[in-house]
Amino acid sequence: MAKKKMKIKAKEKKGIVKVKAMFTSLMADREESVKKGIKPEYIKYIVATVNDAVVYEVTMSGFMSENPLVKFKFKGKKGDKIVFNTIDNNGNKATGKKKIK
Amino acid sequence: MDRRKFLGVGLAAFAAIVAPGTDLRAVDFRTTKPKAWEVEKTVDGIKALYGNAGLKTSDKLTFKAPKLAENGGSIPITIKSSLDLESIALFQDANPRCLSCVFSVPVGAIIEYDFRIKMRQTAVVTIVGKERGTGTLYTASKEIDVSIGGCGG
Repeated sequence: MAKKKMKIKAKEKKGIVKVKAMFTSLMADREESVKKGIKPEYIKYIVATVNDAVVYEVTMSGFMSENPLVKFKFKGKKGDKIVFNTIDNNGNKATGKKKIK
Repeated sequence: MDRRKFLGVGLAAFAAIVAPGTDLRAVDFRTTKPKAWEVEKTVDGIKALYGNAGLKTSDKLTFKAPKLAENGGSIPITIKSSLDLESIALFQDANPRCLSCVFSVPVGAIIEYDFRIKMRQTAVVTIVGKERGTGTLYTASKEIDVSIGGCGG
């Protein structure tokens, strides 16, 4: 498996934190993987937590775009750490951390 | 091994066993609703995920999407809602399986999700949101024209 990479940006403004996150994944579902001759590989679950509280949670199928980019907002404050956890269809897990600016 | 050390080792082992079990997810849609991930048609998908309840349209649940998508491999979608929703799902008819993603919305969250999906042909995209507490289903849909199909097609 290729190196897992996760790019996270989190910025606070007036009590609201804007988060952009990009995950590295081929997002190849069954049909696409057959066409390309590769194994199916897609992230099926992403969760983001701040201080152990879930702020973002999504279950996905392989029909999201390659290298999924997600944006969302939540109420938070500077200095907290946002932690992303992902699981792909093969059970591989990845974690990423970022301090909210 | 002295007692102190032994306890420490025991605790570490215990933590190692427990850790994988502590799952953060509120609802694992993949195991609780496996059927929803397999069906082809949006109507069946909604039924499989949320049951047979009636759908309501509301201007409080909307999503932004381009009318004409040049590249079906990456269609930006923004879901916005001022309702207190429990979960939001996105369905489309273009792909072999209709369900694209399901969001579990934490309490008090700001619902403004931005992401990209793949579609292999022109089709209707439907989002369904379930209100917390009442369980009322809200929906919004839009047709998106795709000129070049995604999914390697």
